[in-house]
Amino acid sequence: MGSWFGVSLVLAVLPVLAQTPAYRAPRLAGTDHPNLDGLWQALTEANWDIQAHAAQPGPPEFGALYAEPAGPGIVEGNEIPYQPWALAKKKENFEKRLTRVNTDGVRLEPLDPEAKCYMPGVPRANYMPFPFQIIQGDKKIIMAYEFASASRLIRLDKAEPAPVESYMGWSNGRWDGDTLVVDVTGFNEKTWFDRAGNFHSEALHVVERWTPAGPDVLQYEAQIEDPKVFTRPWKLSFPLYRRLDKNAQFLEFKCVPFSEELVYGHLRKKTGK
Amino acid sequence: MQPILIAIASLMALGALAQTHGKTPWGDPDLQGSWSNATTTPLERPAKYAGREFLTKEEMAAQNKQTAVATDKRDTPGTPEDVNGAYNGFWWERGWSDGRTSLIYDPPDGRIPPMTPQGKERKAEQARRNQTNEGGELGAGPFNGPEDVELYTRCIIRAALPRVPTGYDNNYEIVQTPGYVAILQEQMHETRVIPLDGRPHLASDVRQWLGDSRGHWEGNTLVVETTNFSDQASFEGSTKNMRLVERWTRAADDRLDYRFTVEDPATWTRPWSAAIAWTKTGNLYEYACHEDNYGLYGILAGARAQEKAAVRK
Repeated sequence: MGSWFGVSLVLAVLPVLAQTPAYRAPRLAGTDHPNLDGLWQALTEANWDIQAHAAQPGPPEFGALYAEPAGPGIVEGNEIPYQPWALAKKKENFEKRLTRVNTDGVRLEPLDPEAKCYMPGVPRANYMPFPFQIIQGDKKIIMAYEFASASRLIRLDKAEPAPVESYMGWSNGRWDGDTLVVDVTGFNEKTWFDRAGNFHSEALHVVERWTPAGPDVLQYEAQIEDPKVFTRPWKLSFPLYRRLDKNAQFLEFKCVPFSEELVYGHLRKKTGK
Repeated sequence: MQPILIAIASLMALGALAQTHGKTPWGDPDLQGSWSNATTTPLERPAKYAGREFLTKEEMAAQNKQTAVATDKRDTPGTPEDVNGAYNGFWWERGWSDGRTSLIYDPPDGRIPPMTPQGKERKAEQARRNQTNEGGELGAGPFNGPEDVELYTRCIIRAALPRVPTGYDNNYEIVQTPGYVAILQEQMHETRVIPLDGRPHLASDVRQWLGDSRGHWEGNTLVVETTNFSDQASFEGSTKNMRLVERWTRAADDRLDYRFTVEDPATWTRPWSAAIAWTKTGNLYEYACHEDNYGLYGILAGARAQEKAAVRK
């Protein structure tokens, strides 16, 4: 029984590990490239913490509702090679995630960018617990994310250097066999990798690899490089699953109104006085 | 026999060539690219052009000259007027006249049809709320909280659908794939993901800021029907039950013909339609708005500071 379980586990993991997947995806009609279209979603706990972690309690007044699920992590080797100052900063991020602090000389705001409904950045947008849709054209690809209505435009026809910094970065795509390789630069320093406070600077450079691993699975890998924060490049990876539920549809999650009390609540007129 | 066959084959090849022009690799009409719907042609026909669909050449030139001057004028530097008008020709992206007197072509008078009694009542109520500032969307103050500020200033949506041109960032990116059309709207960086497979709309109690869109092809025209709008956003006084039908047709390499028809019996006495050219433009950029919304922060902080100052007096 035990050995049978072990064998099936190895078999299940093998296609994901293989460098050149045996699976050949259907082509985008009229082209030589695999068709990555669809409504996709990660099944990980990485949005809470990209590293391995045990379950954590949420705010006690909500019981088990907002507790954090345990997760095996998505970072290869489970180590994020922070420079010493940056590791301290990561811890501070987490401690002050919901404390109003003044970081820009103007606003008093909690630090956590997801709580504030900021566009989530890359790669985080791909492992938030929300679906996103890939619409693959022959010259460009749109990746539409439900969270914060963030969108990415991936240019396949002409690679251009990032003209300006942004939350979702500037994406140039190319095909490496059946793998879509997206080079993302032009980030600002305002997004995090997770709720644990893992962060980067504006020098972030992400190279994503999107590989069809089965009719309903994309294997996703991102190489993270940021010489201002990390001592070496590192990788994270996880599978993306196609949403197969019958009525699955890309829906709106415009969270700005949900964040306003947190962001502006202290500026609200006090009533009843 | 053989030469005739060759002739037929080359004719067929020519025909195929003509057909693939403007088609995606999978054979749908190709609307893809970066587009701008900027134009100074107003939605409704001004009274002075009553009875006329088109401007004269001279009127069009005069209007464009006025646009060029008005978008680039400055007030005396250092004055509040100058700061208020700090957007100059570098920022504005108003486009030019398209030669018509209005974007609305139906009804033929170029005007939004009369409102129904219900519609008028809602409009009057909205005007009253704006003045007394109970959720005053037009921002007259005193800004008790973010809800008192309009949706655009709150960075929730730029405007309800259908999108008519505004001062800047009138940019859209269309990407197609078999079974879907995606329209990325530069403001507010959301993508309209439009299924073409004929599936039914969302349940009627599921409402979205940009509604729920379904598309299909009619010849070379993409037809998109949108329902399920939210009652928190309104187009020209519409209710959440407005039905929107939009049509995109490739008119030239650098131009799409865009038309919309809206109907909402609770608001207007008849459906009405407008046409807006979408012209080829350059790269779209990220319109982060909420993330750096110093404007709304300042409005609310300023209102609280004014209240404090008033108490001190």
